[in-house]
Amino acid sequence: MRSIRNVIIALILTGFLLLAYSCTTGACFDETTAYMKASLFLNSTGKQTAPDSLSLWGAGMDTSKIYNAQKSLKQALVPLDASSGSCSFIIKINEVYDTLSAWYSTYPHLLSKDCGYTFYHNIDSLNSTNHKIVKISITKNSVTTISEENIRIYY
Amino acid sequence: MNSTGELMAQKPAATVPPDTVTFPLTIRAGVDISGPVIYLTDKNNLTVEGYLSADLNEKRSLYLGGGYSNYKYSQYNYSYVTNGFFIKAGVDFNLMKPQTAKGKYWAGVGLHYGLSSFSYEIPELSHDNYWGTTTASLPTQSLWSHFIEASPGFRAQFFGNVTIGWSISLRKMIYSGGGKDIRPIYIPGYGLAASSFSAGINYYIIWNFRYKTIKVLIKKEQPEEPEEETTPSTNTNTNTNTGSGNMQNPEP
Repeated sequence: MRSIRNVIIALILTGFLLLAYSCTTGACFDETTAYMKASLFLNSTGKQTAPDSLSLWGAGMDTSKIYNAQKSLKQALVPLDASSGSCSFIIKINEVYDTLSAWYSTYPHLLSKDCGYTFYHNIDSLNSTNHKIVKISITKNSVTTISEENIRIYY
Repeated sequence: MNSTGELMAQKPAATVPPDTVTFPLTIRAGVDISGPVIYLTDKNNLTVEGYLSADLNEKRSLYLGGGYSNYKYSQYNYSYVTNGFFIKAGVDFNLMKPQTAKGKYWAGVGLHYGLSSFSYEIPELSHDNYWGTTTASLPTQSLWSHFIEASPGFRAQFFGNVTIGWSISLRKMIYSGGGKDIRPIYIPGYGLAASSFSAGINYYIIWNFRYKTIKVLIKKEQPEEPEEETTPSTNTNTNTNTGSGNMQNPEP
């Protein structure tokens, strides 16, 4: 009978622990925005190299810059417009302006109960002017919150 | 002396003769009261659950449970609504000795398979980024999920035919029914679907209907044997003084 009593006490305690655990509210500590990750490559060497200076903002959003004369930046995190199928950016590499455009599809993705939903994208195509940019390429067209390179910009 | 004329040494009784106890087999109908109690404090979460079980013998019972769940959740960037039914079936094992349980107590574990049929909807979701706020909604989707459940617990007779008890439910998801991107966050009968493992607790009021009485063979606990003072010989030809028959000498 003593062993049964011990088992019952253990089960009661386990039950209360589980109840306490189940009542714990969570918080979101995860990345919630799916950025298009753009790596910067020096075309002459073919190596990933940070330009002396990089500025980036959405077309028509000059007052709100994503990067402003950023130094030592080897990979830019570029937010896509989830309410549109395409968007354009002004990119200034070493004081030379280019325009980068992306076409993509968007779909909702559940991150977690605490973080809620975000929007993921699939890149269909890219285009850019070639003042400083030599070429661009897509390495992974699925844009998620995972830290994976999506495009390469050769300058 | 046996038929060959050899002497048979008397052996001490190795086991105490078995005994029996009377054990009532019952059919049970239980109602979970934890769901409605939780609903009193959280109007967004209602689960009504019950079960039927029938004793096969003093150790095993067939279990059939089911219920309905209506769950709502909302936070700053989305809201979620789900409702649906679930059923569970399996076997409950009573780990108590029959002479202790006497049909009044149950301490054991149930192993169940669960199936949930439900629908869910995200009436609104929003996401903020550099370009502003994007809003959307996802229409109602109907899904099937299934899972397995281990539920250790305890029940005791309260009065008459009424028993009360509780059980912990430890569930492992087999299939949630959702996709990689859009999937349910709550599954009726299973709980929060964020993990492939979920836990819960139920408190039951149970009505018992006795349908049969069986006699269960039990072994009485053996008394401890006193330590022997001398080590008995293993020689089968050792003479004893208990018989009066002829003594056989070893072969030369």
